[in-house]
Amino acid sequence: MADLDKWRGDLQNQDAETRAAAAEHLCQAGEGVAEAAVDLVKACGDEESVQVWAVAALEEMGPPPVSTIPQLIELANDHQSIVAYWAITLLGRAEDASSQSEGVLTELLLNAGDISVRERAAWALGRLGPESQAAIDALKTVADSDSVRLARLAEEALS
Amino acid sequence: MLTVIFTALSGGGVGGYLNPNMPILGPLVQGAREQVTSLVQNNENLQNIVPGQGVGAGLSPNAANSVQAVTNKRSPDKITIGTFNIQVFGQSKLAKPDAMSVIVQCIRRFDIVAIQEVRAKGDNVLPDLVKQLNADGSRYSFLIGPRLGRSVSTEQYAFVFDTTRIEYDPSSIATMKDPADLLHREPYAARFRTRTSSPDKAFTFYLVNIHTDPDEVKQEVNALGDAYQAILSQSPPEDDVIVLGDLNASEKQLGKLGQIKGMRWVVTGDVMTNTRQNKAYDNIVFYGPSTAEFTGSWGVLNFEQEFQLTRDQALKVSDHFPVWAEFQIWEAPKQGIFAGRLGNRR
Repeated sequence: MADLDKWRGDLQNQDAETRAAAAEHLCQAGEGVAEAAVDLVKACGDEESVQVWAVAALEEMGPPPVSTIPQLIELANDHQSIVAYWAITLLGRAEDASSQSEGVLTELLLNAGDISVRERAAWALGRLGPESQAAIDALKTVADSDSVRLARLAEEALS
Repeated sequence: MLTVIFTALSGGGVGGYLNPNMPILGPLVQGAREQVTSLVQNNENLQNIVPGQGVGAGLSPNAANSVQAVTNKRSPDKITIGTFNIQVFGQSKLAKPDAMSVIVQCIRRFDIVAIQEVRAKGDNVLPDLVKQLNADGSRYSFLIGPRLGRSVSTEQYAFVFDTTRIEYDPSSIATMKDPADLLHREPYAARFRTRTSSPDKAFTFYLVNIHTDPDEVKQEVNALGDAYQAILSQSPPEDDVIVLGDLNASEKQLGKLGQIKGMRWVVTGDVMTNTRQNKAYDNIVFYGPSTAEFTGSWGVLNFEQEFQLTRDQALKVSDHFPVWAEFQIWEAPKQGIFAGRLGNRR
């Protein structure tokens, strides 16, 4: 889709209004926008006018294309928690297709500084279905967390 | 087993119409009330605007997908309650006159509407909307909740209502507490009453505004079942509790909320509520035996057809259409367990 490529390119533009317009177009593009999953996750770290549309697009997007999984795994470690949060969310939506992310998600579950990232990692591991002993042990550990939501999500992931 | 206890704490009223004995204020609710108080005061200043040309003039109501068309001319003995997810309702949408014109025309069809997805760091979105609504001499006002969300990207709920038709109980405004943290954006609730010549016989009702997280729908709609029960337990008792919003769930996915015996919802069958017409995620849910004020009329306001927009134009307004339901302005006789409790109130 030619427009999709243009909007993805515009997300890199130096002008914030152009980036915001691109994010809005992608949000309204409907089917096919999943190809822009990585661009939109990165755009979550942009200024508010861009971020709001990127987040809205990601909320409505289904599972990301398998080809984007390696980049999403990288973004799951982004220093901006909202970027990490959305990368993890898409990895969770990919379910079995993102099984290679289990190690990263396990690490984030235990050590991420932002509670929303840890919670999303627990949720995503539940969607993947934890297979490694390390992931299962990590989930058992946080199932005793003082954070009621984190503990519940870990329990659900183990069940 | 009730897995979580929701509480909808209310604050002490300052001139609220029901003047109940109020319990404690939670921090979240307190914040919301402070904001509401501030904005409502500002908003009152907006109601004396010189009437301008109504942006809705001349458009014919011909929404093919509406079960029944809701018209500009509202009935004096009925009210229309709506819900509208105005996708990313913030600065960029305010800056689009065409989109705002449609939003304003839609809201003017309703006596009160629950709005989801106010997304802006500034506080001008609802005041600016109400200013446009009142430009034709209307007297709309609003209530708005705190910013909610798990990340730095947050949303607010709002209620917009015609003050000539609806009044609210200031002590009832609350963002529900969710100690088990089951809901991404905790419901925003308030109690309203129709304005009539006999206030003691007027229809009173809670509206519970909700936008669920699309990644945790099953858990959240189950939690809404508990939230509904929590509102029912509030004092003073209210038998008419209407849950409305973007549930991200069709009528077949309403979980514990939909499993409460007697619960009914207006959007059913193959009626879709989103602009792309492939999902039915917005709804208005209430307990049928109690809320006998419902007239049976409801609909989806398909503004794409109504205002003869292209799909792209419609998507610039929102990816959701408003959903509405009509109710009598007079309180219906109490049913079942509510009869005694509410009977004591009067």
